[in-house]
Amino acid sequence: MNRVQRLLNGYGFILPSLVFTLVLGVYPILWALRYMFYDYKGYGTPVYVGLDNFERLMRDGLFWESVVNTFVYAGGKLVITIPLALLLAVILNRRIRGRHALRAIIFMPTIISSAVMAVVFFIVFNSYNGILNQLLLKYGLIGQAIEWLGPDYAMLTIVLIAAWGAIGNYMLLFLAGLQSIPDDIYESASLDGANPIQQFRYITVPMLGPVLQMIVMLAIINSLKGYESIMVLTEGGPFGKTNVMFLYVYRLLFPVSTGSVIEQQIGYGSAVGFASAVIVGAITVLYFYLSRKLNDIH
Amino acid sequence: MKKKLGLLMLGIALAGSLTACSSGGNSGSNGTNGGNAPGGEATETPKDDKPAEKTKITYWTGDRHDADYIKEKIAAFNETNEDNIEVEMVVKTEEYDQALDIAFVGAQAPDVFRVKENTIQTYYKKGYLEPIDAYLTEDMTTKFPRIDNFSSFEGKTYSLPNYGSTMRLVYNIDLFEKAGIAEPPKTLAEMVEAARKITEVGKADGAYGFALNFKSPGSAFGRSARVIAEMSGYGGFGYDFKTGRFDFNGFKDIIGAFKQMKDDGSMLPGSESLDIDPLRAQFAEGKIGMYLSFSSEPGVYKNQFPAKIRWAGALPPTIDGNVKGVAGFLGGQWMVMSNQSKNKEAAWKFMAFMYSDEVLKGYAEGGFGIPMVPHIAETAAKPQIEGIDGFFPTKYDGVWPLTPTVTPEGATNWDEFWRYVNEGGDFDKLAEDLNNRYNAALDKAIASGEVTAQPDPSFDPASMQGAFASE
Repeated sequence: MNRVQRLLNGYGFILPSLVFTLVLGVYPILWALRYMFYDYKGYGTPVYVGLDNFERLMRDGLFWESVVNTFVYAGGKLVITIPLALLLAVILNRRIRGRHALRAIIFMPTIISSAVMAVVFFIVFNSYNGILNQLLLKYGLIGQAIEWLGPDYAMLTIVLIAAWGAIGNYMLLFLAGLQSIPDDIYESASLDGANPIQQFRYITVPMLGPVLQMIVMLAIINSLKGYESIMVLTEGGPFGKTNVMFLYVYRLLFPVSTGSVIEQQIGYGSAVGFASAVIVGAITVLYFYLSRKLNDIH
Repeated sequence: MKKKLGLLMLGIALAGSLTACSSGGNSGSNGTNGGNAPGGEATETPKDDKPAEKTKITYWTGDRHDADYIKEKIAAFNETNEDNIEVEMVVKTEEYDQALDIAFVGAQAPDVFRVKENTIQTYYKKGYLEPIDAYLTEDMTTKFPRIDNFSSFEGKTYSLPNYGSTMRLVYNIDLFEKAGIAEPPKTLAEMVEAARKITEVGKADGAYGFALNFKSPGSAFGRSARVIAEMSGYGGFGYDFKTGRFDFNGFKDIIGAFKQMKDDGSMLPGSESLDIDPLRAQFAEGKIGMYLSFSSEPGVYKNQFPAKIRWAGALPPTIDGNVKGVAGFLGGQWMVMSNQSKNKEAAWKFMAFMYSDEVLKGYAEGGFGIPMVPHIAETAAKPQIEGIDGFFPTKYDGVWPLTPTVTPEGATNWDEFWRYVNEGGDFDKLAEDLNNRYNAALDKAIASGEVTAQPDPSFDPASMQGAFASE
């Protein structure tokens, strides 16, 4: 195979994904970057408004509320997901009975669409006849139905559902990382008298360092971007308490009419989308800076 | 086109993660004239034995309640039309508006599609619609009313009405009797009191006085607070047609009553996460004393959630018992033709068939909607659907003029009202903030020439009474 053929082969393989990335990734970004300086409703001529959309963004309480909500949601999801996923991975990396079946079961929520999941969880959590309340009431654990999707508990409920959906995925990534650690290191540690906790602390975590750093980064980005299950479960409510950044963006671009005539806010939505992406980017960079030691240990 | 293509791509990127929200899968290509867009859809191509060379056209609708009837009529059209036209019907119940936008940008638009009283204006501005004046026969011109800003724009006709929706208080007769309430409430105070009494006698069995689908405050208040305001003489969306400005002060007592019911514990727990269908399911089970909604409810309790209780619809209450306006009779349009259609003649033949007396009468008699076309209302037999009697137009139903479309900064009035119902606060301040934001948006829209908002000092909401019935 000559050089030209090799090149053609190579480009041939990447061409489909390159085209998709350009058309569905790069082009919309460039498009949104342009329209964030315009007032555009999806019809008529877009009107150039300079930095007006960003001025509005600065005073937009709904946006900043959604930023806070996003942090609470992402933080809660990470705090539950990462330790649990790591713990499960360590346990299921050992030669225990039924580990393959358990891995499959724990991974299963990952393959279910988060929107479908949200519909199922509505049946569990809704306060008037949800399964959870019925059970808690039946066994006398609560005196009256808890409004799981009400103002006080909606965020907690959503975080729990999101964590449930994500643990399997990160467990699998951790498992892949764990399997790259050679068994003989554990064996020699064991001969030297290290107990499982010491092995975890002094072998597993350091040797998992770079993988751990990557997985947590992915988890952070995914958590900050997630909105599908929230959209199905609460639509960001009650009164904005579960509204996250990208759900806010989505509804500016694709609003739902509930009686009066409504219009798309493509210019402002693009500006909010851009600001949200900058926030996610900044947090990722900050995380890389703070977690650089994970790389050093290895 | 470039900007539209960008929107399409952005839409696909955003919507990609949401396809599972919809009720069905992506059907992929089915070889007909477009009609393949993401979202929950069910395609139905009624059978036809005629030879090839068919003219295929597509009809899109977001309506589910009449889908079987419309399918049946389309099948009849496909069988009997002599022009070899075949209509494919696509029912999209999820994200219908978004799917239409994407279809138009991708030049895959349906030839004919369903519009509503709050979407036709935007589609007109987006340039999706084809005027139908040239096709209208003299007979149709006389039979069908045309309503400015709801079916015709700037002197051109784009759609014709079929049915409209009235808004009513829907109540559980059994629970009212159990609570010793003789008749449905006519004032806000009576509504609050009825909700309290019903909760008192029903709570032990899990029944509460009042509920609404507050998962979407706009949808909940848009079928309740809105119509109470309209009956009381205030614009349902806070716009004062007399002054040409937004003024939300008229909602003070109405939202106050909702707050009172919430504070009293008369609202079904969990109302904040309820969609309309779970609410209906609970009402059908006898767990809700009353709520407010549209005339689609009788059909729902006949087919979707067969009611296990006796129920009825009544005129919504007013603030103080004085009817100073009319309850919005929503509609004025039904089908429109796409300006992208390559088969406009065929599309019109299909529309003309659907607007024929036979189809519209069948529609009314099937109870799928309240006829808005006078000659159908006069000649169609009453549908045999329990509860529908209370939804027929009365003297107090009418069509309000169109509220100017504005996009205010910050939360909508409905979201703010719902927060107030839950968290309390100073309503006067809230109304002032809403007035400022909505009027600023209105001024901006006027300045850009998008809307006109002329004050009409002589506007009298009571003058709209009696347009559809004298009693």
